[in-house]
Amino acid sequence: MNRQLSEVVLPSEFFKKTLDPVIALAAIAVLDIFMFLIVGAWTVGGGETMMTGLIAQAIMGDDINRLPFWQLVFVPDAGYWKIYISLGMLFGAFVSAVLSKEFYIRIPRRLEEWVLITIGGLLMGIGIRLAFVCNVSTFFGMTPEMNMGGYLAMSGILAGAWVGSMIYKKILEG
Amino acid sequence: MSAIGQCLVAFLFGSVVGLLVQRSRFCNTAALRDAILFKTYRNTKALLVAMMILTFGFTLFLTFGEGNPMHFDVGLNTFAGLFIFGIGMVLAGACTVSTWVKTGEGNIGALWALIFTFVGMFLFSLVWSVNYWPPAPASMTGEPNLEALQLGYANAATLQEKFGIPAIFFGLIQIGVLYLIYRAIRRKEDAQEAAHMQAQAAAQPAE
Repeated sequence: MNRQLSEVVLPSEFFKKTLDPVIALAAIAVLDIFMFLIVGAWTVGGGETMMTGLIAQAIMGDDINRLPFWQLVFVPDAGYWKIYISLGMLFGAFVSAVLSKEFYIRIPRRLEEWVLITIGGLLMGIGIRLAFVCNVSTFFGMTPEMNMGGYLAMSGILAGAWVGSMIYKKILEG
Repeated sequence: MSAIGQCLVAFLFGSVVGLLVQRSRFCNTAALRDAILFKTYRNTKALLVAMMILTFGFTLFLTFGEGNPMHFDVGLNTFAGLFIFGIGMVLAGACTVSTWVKTGEGNIGALWALIFTFVGMFLFSLVWSVNYWPPAPASMTGEPNLEALQLGYANAATLQEKFGIPAIFFGLIQIGVLYLIYRAIRRKEDAQEAAHMQAQAAAQPAE
């Protein structure tokens, strides 16, 4: 069925060959301009924060109101549009991976990888909230709007990626 | 547009992005890490092209007062936050986009990174609830507030307002700078390829 769908309904080559990232990103940029006009530029961190708030609310109940952050900065709201960009990316990637027969469960094998991913994930979450922006807003929103914050964020992410790369290199070299 | 309409548009946009990123293997982390560590620029070039298109589109519409730009104060926290984020994304081997896309491909490591991004955000909410820094959106003024280490708000639209020069003019300057970086990368790649060809030719035995 998948074979029929990918070969008859959809252009089969699209799901066989790797797409040039320049073409993919150019297409995303054009769509992002439409998003900018309709509701706001592509962003991920804000939606993730709202999801964190909704999960925390589901677990903690009314106790979440004891944390002013969830009343003054992000009031949990399932109707926040940014959440659905992330869910869309998950859905689009899943469909694409299935159609191109690239969906399979991959599990990190070494303990070292699990530790790095855990630390990396925590740092990403803390960094996004401290900055009020994520990498997507930095490169695909703020900087193209020539927002002063875009340049601050780009300097920060470049410096951070350099430090991270040096740590990564040290680990690779053992 | 209604809230439901916004959510539907966002989901549709996200789905197309997820599909294009999955098919192209684009990764923002790789765009920076690979350029720093391995001197390869496949993702970096794509990022620069997107930024050039976006700068043109955004500043063009801002010239006519259209669009929905991000509107909040920035400051030391913007730099520091992305610095921490930059380290994290290289260690995790994924950014905010690739965690969702790789999770969609069945990558449990990416899902784990995503879960801990949420945990990191929640931990930050605990700290913020004690020190209230950086300032909440309601207390942002748009002006520099050095006590709170905030520089205020400025973008291509505010430049247009201040100097009476259309926002697109500033946008074209930025596109020029981005293009120079793109061209420098292309030249570096050409030089790498030439060196590679030379090395291959030298390695071949003479007939």
